[in-house]
Amino acid sequence: MRSADKWRFALNALLHNRLRTGLCLLGISIGVTAVVLLTGLGEGARRYVGAQFQSLGTNLVFIFPGHADTEGAMPGLGGAPNDLSLQDARALQREVRQLKTVVPISLGSETVANRERSKQVYVLGTTPQFIEARGLRLSSGVNLPELDWERGQPVIVLGGELARELFPGGEVAVGNTVRVGDRRVRVIGVMEDRGTQVGLDTGLMGLIPVASAMSMYNESGLFRILVEIGAQTDTDRTVARMREVLMERHGEEDFTCKTQESVAGSLSTIMRVLTLALAGIASVSLAVAGIGIMNVMLVSVSERRSEVGLLRALGAGHAQVRGIFLAEAALISAAGGVIGLAIAIVASLVLRSFYPAFDATPPWWSVLAALGVSTGVGLLFGVMPANKASRLDPVVALRS
Amino acid sequence: MGNLFSLALGAILGHRQRSLLSMLGIAIGIAAVVLLTSMGEGTRRFISAEFSQFGTHIIAINPGKAETFGIPGMMGGTTQKLTIDDALALRRVQGVERIVPLVFGQGRVEGGGRARSIMIFGVTSDMPDLWKFDLGVGLFIPEGDWKRESQVCVLGARVSRELFVDGNPLGNFVRVADRRLRVIGVMAARGNIFGQDIDDVAYVPTATAMQLFNREELGEIDIEYSESVITARVVADIKAILTERHGGREDYTLNTQQEMLSVMGSVMDVVTMAVGAIGGISLLVGAVGILTMMWISVGERTGEIGLMKALGATSSKILKVFMAEAIVLGLLGGVAGVLLGLSCVVVIRAIVPDLPLGTPPEFVVAAFLISVVTGVLAGILPARRAANLDPIEALRADG
Repeated sequence: MRSADKWRFALNALLHNRLRTGLCLLGISIGVTAVVLLTGLGEGARRYVGAQFQSLGTNLVFIFPGHADTEGAMPGLGGAPNDLSLQDARALQREVRQLKTVVPISLGSETVANRERSKQVYVLGTTPQFIEARGLRLSSGVNLPELDWERGQPVIVLGGELARELFPGGEVAVGNTVRVGDRRVRVIGVMEDRGTQVGLDTGLMGLIPVASAMSMYNESGLFRILVEIGAQTDTDRTVARMREVLMERHGEEDFTCKTQESVAGSLSTIMRVLTLALAGIASVSLAVAGIGIMNVMLVSVSERRSEVGLLRALGAGHAQVRGIFLAEAALISAAGGVIGLAIAIVASLVLRSFYPAFDATPPWWSVLAALGVSTGVGLLFGVMPANKASRLDPVVALRS
Repeated sequence: MGNLFSLALGAILGHRQRSLLSMLGIAIGIAAVVLLTSMGEGTRRFISAEFSQFGTHIIAINPGKAETFGIPGMMGGTTQKLTIDDALALRRVQGVERIVPLVFGQGRVEGGGRARSIMIFGVTSDMPDLWKFDLGVGLFIPEGDWKRESQVCVLGARVSRELFVDGNPLGNFVRVADRRLRVIGVMAARGNIFGQDIDDVAYVPTATAMQLFNREELGEIDIEYSESVITARVVADIKAILTERHGGREDYTLNTQQEMLSVMGSVMDVVTMAVGAIGGISLLVGAVGILTMMWISVGERTGEIGLMKALGATSSKILKVFMAEAIVLGLLGGVAGVLLGLSCVVVIRAIVPDLPLGTPPEFVVAAFLISVVTGVLAGILPARRAANLDPIEALRADG
């Protein structure tokens, strides 16, 4: 029997029992859809988080006050006896030449009000470079003024959503005065909405000069220093150099440097593990589908005893009979895999048309794995029925 | 009725292999659901135990009003400050038993010729009672005026071990920033809470911490109230006092332990449901398997059905026979699945004792119900096919 004949034979057997073939296909395609769709969602979430970090700008280093030897402790929570000061930021700018920009940040949560409309938001004290370093843009007005860092000015740049909430109905925000806490400041600019960037809603925040914020919050230290490193420089060496400069000034390592890559990298690893765990749980259904296929094949082997007997009587060997039934199992599971894959891809496209920002396209490795695993499941669970068929005694089989 | 099920059981036993495989499909699905929901439930219990070890009648107040996300005051500053005077004012709320004004931050503690960067908590004398922490040796921060500094500190078990490797830390001095603090006590070891090593911290009086971190405001006020008063009442009283003190503005955020617990609980419930549902996909596939096999077996038993009908069995009787078969298949699969899932739980518990697992009895009951429902759903189509067979055609087909 030629190979093509074997496949045609298997195909005919499947087409003959359309309903049970259909149900087997359904089982395996449900499993494949689940696995592919879940990996797509997981990978999509991972890429989304990655893109969020990218949108912060590249090559960023965050410096927090405080340093913990304890694993898992979060730096930047609460206070620290030695502040990171404006002078520290200034020293970094002066002494580490590879730095593109150094942005001091003082953070506080504050009520911003326009007459009776008010909103509690994060108000950041920073410099004009913040907007560029975080990849933000202004939609109207101007950026914070280039001031001496130690000098304040009663001005604010509002996030887009905050501006709309305080000045509804198309009222122009720029040029008006709002209250921040107890102080009155003039709105000089409004930012474009860029959504939530790693936990900070850029639409709902305000930017004021760093000295104004520090005097308002009565803080002598910065919340953190944001550093942008030139694209061509070695991040590790530059971070080491920054550490040296700060160590020299503080006499001890009472601060923490985190590169954007290290934060993004560990998040990405966590997300990938979660994705694989979910896909693993879903792939249990592939095993169940395989059992279903085995069951149906076992039935069909006993139904087709006389047919098998005839084949054997006509000179087909054990291996050929086994091949036919394995081909049948492989066909059904591969077809189920393709159908499942198609459903998953369509579903991810539909999802994408609703949420364009979230790309849930299944990664290539999950597509290959799904097809491979589904076909493998078919072959694995096809072995037992195929062996059963090949072991039939032609005389007994024909007689029945 | 008994007759019906013995008939179904007979049909199932008649095709042992295929029945076994059909049940196996359901069993795997049920086992997956049982195991996954056990993990979810275990995690939920773990979290609520972590929370409630502090006691359930606790209120935490943070500066700043949360409107969007997170706890204000944890990150960065605010002009809306909570002060020691605020904390003192709350003493007159009825039912309040303990108040701890809190300041926290990171700092380097030097002592015994070594140094360690850790979390430093500024607290008052009631902290161990309020947080249910035990003192190991020595004394805790003594009662006294909350606004008065005193140069003492109490170390967590791990810090004490790391700094004073082979010696008694009591009576020795540690240096934090520019201050020398006398070690008056060491806390009993407690281990991790939410991944944070609670033994790797040091406690100093609140006023001292405020000086250390150069702050005039508190990071948090923790309040424990009597179990005999109503939570809502205490919350309302606290809000009235604080809002009045803050010029009519509610510029602080108040969280009760009970609220936190229920929020955590409902988040975990959603996660458990989602993971359970993903495991349930296997159950769906198992149902498709039962459907297929039942369909095949109706086809095979066309002659038998024809005979039963010719002998006077009504369509509804035939329907019941096949439905019973599907239900028994589902139920047996369910039993096997629950056993499989529970033994996985036992095995995992033996291998990884730290992994929290919990299987409430109602989950087991639910799993049985789901398996029966699966059987019913999978049986409907084949059973109707059998019931609608024409006896004459059916008998002839078998001829």
